[in-house]
Amino acid sequence: MSKPESPYPLAAHSRSLSPDTRHLLWSVAPGVIWIVVFLVLPSLYLIGVAFMTNGPYGQPQMPLTLDAFSQLAGFGFLGWSPGNLYTLLRSLWQTLLATGLVILVAYPLAYRISISREKWRALMLLAVVVPSWTNQVIRAFGWMNLLSPGTPLAELAQFFGLIGPNMGLYPSNFAVTLGLIYNFLPFMVLPLYAAFEKLDYALVEAARDLYASPLRAFWLAVFPQTLPGLLAGTVLVSIPAFGMYVVPELLGGGRAMMLGNLVASQFAGGSNWPLGAAGALIMLLATFGGLFAMRRIGKRLSGGEEVVI
Amino acid sequence: MRRGAFHRGLTLFWWVVMAFLYLPLAVIVFYSFNAANSSAYFAGFSLRWYDKLIHNDQLLSALSNTLVLGIASSTLALGIGTLIGYGMYRHRARKLGWLIVLIYLPIVMPDIVFGISEMAFFISIDRQFGILGPSLLTMIIAHVTFQIPFVALIVYSRFVGLDPTLFEAAKDLYASPFQRARFFLLPTLKPSLIAAFFLSFTLSVDDFVISFFNAGPENATLPIYIWGAIRRGVSPEINAIATLMIGAVLIAALLSLMFNRHKQH
Amino acid sequence: MKRTTITTRVALTLGGMLLASSAFAQDANKLYLFNWTEYMDPKIIQAFEKKYGVEVIQSYYNSLPEMTAKLNAGGVSQYDIIVPSNYYVPRLIDSGLVQKLDKSQIPNLSNVMQQFADPSYDPGAQYSVPYQWGTSGIVYDTNVFPDAPKSWSLLFDPKVNTDQPFALMGDGQVNMGAACAYLGSGYDCTGAEAWKPAAKLILDTKHRGTFSGFTDGTPVLQQIQRGVVRAGISYNGDYLQQKRENPEAFKHIAFMIPDEGTEMWVDNMMIPAKAPHPALAHKFINFILDAKVGAELSNFVQYASPNKAAQPYLDADLTQPPALPDEADLARLKFSPSLSGQELQLFQQLWQEVQSR
Repeated sequence: MSKPESPYPLAAHSRSLSPDTRHLLWSVAPGVIWIVVFLVLPSLYLIGVAFMTNGPYGQPQMPLTLDAFSQLAGFGFLGWSPGNLYTLLRSLWQTLLATGLVILVAYPLAYRISISREKWRALMLLAVVVPSWTNQVIRAFGWMNLLSPGTPLAELAQFFGLIGPNMGLYPSNFAVTLGLIYNFLPFMVLPLYAAFEKLDYALVEAARDLYASPLRAFWLAVFPQTLPGLLAGTVLVSIPAFGMYVVPELLGGGRAMMLGNLVASQFAGGSNWPLGAAGALIMLLATFGGLFAMRRIGKRLSGGEEVVI
Repeated sequence: MRRGAFHRGLTLFWWVVMAFLYLPLAVIVFYSFNAANSSAYFAGFSLRWYDKLIHNDQLLSALSNTLVLGIASSTLALGIGTLIGYGMYRHRARKLGWLIVLIYLPIVMPDIVFGISEMAFFISIDRQFGILGPSLLTMIIAHVTFQIPFVALIVYSRFVGLDPTLFEAAKDLYASPFQRARFFLLPTLKPSLIAAFFLSFTLSVDDFVISFFNAGPENATLPIYIWGAIRRGVSPEINAIATLMIGAVLIAALLSLMFNRHKQH
Repeated sequence: MKRTTITTRVALTLGGMLLASSAFAQDANKLYLFNWTEYMDPKIIQAFEKKYGVEVIQSYYNSLPEMTAKLNAGGVSQYDIIVPSNYYVPRLIDSGLVQKLDKSQIPNLSNVMQQFADPSYDPGAQYSVPYQWGTSGIVYDTNVFPDAPKSWSLLFDPKVNTDQPFALMGDGQVNMGAACAYLGSGYDCTGAEAWKPAAKLILDTKHRGTFSGFTDGTPVLQQIQRGVVRAGISYNGDYLQQKRENPEAFKHIAFMIPDEGTEMWVDNMMIPAKAPHPALAHKFINFILDAKVGAELSNFVQYASPNKAAQPYLDADLTQPPALPDEADLARLKFSPSLSGQELQLFQQLWQEVQSR
């Protein structure tokens, strides 16, 4: 664990800590110890498992090896096969698709809220957020009810030839995308709304005078101002979407496996802990890589200023 | 003129999204009163699934597990998180980057990795020392871990919003740190602490994945029970219990609305 | 003052609860039963609780991988009884997850039928006692498939089922066996040679537009009642049990043993290696083996009983198909192979591949 960077480097090394430092340590110690013991250590342990050998019945064993990673890359007893790659690409694709669609829905929605009368705004925000207070298992179940064969939506889709006769809209990749959008919409609306609320309309007016076309005015005056919110929303949506477990499991019906399901099935199906741990490590790397990239982009866009997410 | 059409279009879009957001929940509520054992058709109004719920011991124990887990973890997280929030504020002049990273860690970590790493870790501790096998205790520990950051951030932002001279005044008024905490810090923090507790509780009830991987045989929570029921395929009962949970959420939403209105006046 | 008392009370409750939850395993008056869903008569549980003055805590699983995962995740020291199928028995023994039975504590063991007393999957029956036995087969809607062939082609041949939703099973081994049987290498096929084309067939089947998911044997019966699927893989006893509960819905739902052959399985009561209450677990096994209790169990779950002494008390329908298949169908039944070592890992990689693509 890294030591706190004290502004008084000498004091930190001397045996008696300054009262100020002691005060800091006393107040944050319980929480820091808690998170380190119950989250950092377990994660390190799991990362360790990724480098262990898969025992005969799926339990990790010595010696250390990179087998789990080569298996994750698709190398098995029968040579290379693309299954896990499919899963990885599907997770990326679903994340991209869902995030993109969430932006398309959330952007006008957040704008609509921001131009409402002030007394309505809190209520409108609440209306967007309330469904996400229900449990995600319940939300997925609601969609199962709506999309199964024989329901009006399924029959409508049958009528337009989108699905075969007698079929339902779930389980399918479509249902998974829908479920992801449903789950993460509020995460995009809130930061976008915050951006719209602070929007400087003087800039917009000036742009309208200069460029006349509303589209150009939007692009040059409105869009840049909402970018920080958009960026924050993208992080809040894409990271949990990439690791989603419940939605593909309930709405995907085995045809829409994502990385989260691959990882979970190695533990919940009891087949291969090291492989599951290797998948978890990939998820962690993707998470932190994504955060880091967003921070960089955010910094560049705001001219070196820190974007707080 | 065009602006008017644009505006009307946006309003229409708003209502479409509202339908999208509430239809799945409405359907659950609707079918929970369905007499038929199916969500493909409606066979008349009936309370039979609710009647079944009341006599379902497993469900009642899942309800009590959910409440115990939520209250215990939120209480613990409130204490630990408040301390962190306070420490962060008092020492905000220092470079606390490491602390910020540590606090954001539970928030950004995908919950499946979160749940599984804790499960694997607890199991290995259990094998070595015979403690921390999957149980209500491990679930509480896991929940506290993801609740701490939210409490800390709420408390911290409350402090940041305060006038710094207040602290000086408090220092002059009350001699001992204990008195300062008792008569100044706690009263000023009270609304934030209540908010933090309810947020923690909501997060706890909302969680499925982390609980699922850390629960022992007797610790099924409502979400775990519902998950199991979906996997077993018994549908109408789930509609009824889910309706009750949706009802609880709506009541919470109303309360928060009233609370906010009250604050504004 | 008031606040202090509240704080104290919260602290006390919290502390007491933590203690209680960490020490709950020491509670001697409880039996932790980890069983398949819909596989126990509540009256038997009540009778056992009453007779021994204990409480039975039941938990459920839908598939054997799920059960094994829970055992590995600490369940080995939390459950007193598990009920795995024959092909999981050897791997549970090998991996040290179960303990040897003390046969002196199970006098009713003499009630077990001769053909179940010394099974191939547990020579000498040192670890396992048979609970029920049955078959896996196809359930289908006779309205939709009035002329269904007695064959796996109902699931695997897109020409036989062109446009109706259907499901395969959650447990990979049953799917693989079914695909092998359909392809002619027999339900109990093993090895890459037989598995590769079978995996390919399952993969192709999964990509058909009418495939609705991998659904386990008990839930698929709910789905077929509601028309979510029109055909799937289930178990004969679960089918009968649901049919008895809901005769109207099952009028047009049938159970079939495909001519290419399918699975016969035996579910067994076993005691996890670190079970908290092994003595009570033995009592429970003995209780289930009682002639009348055994018959009551079978009459409730609608499976054939391996209990010889229970036979006179069984319902009439349990002595005829589909509970007890006829001679011709009996000859078509095979055990799922018990996999271990390299073979198991190969199988898991193939199954993983099928699920991912």
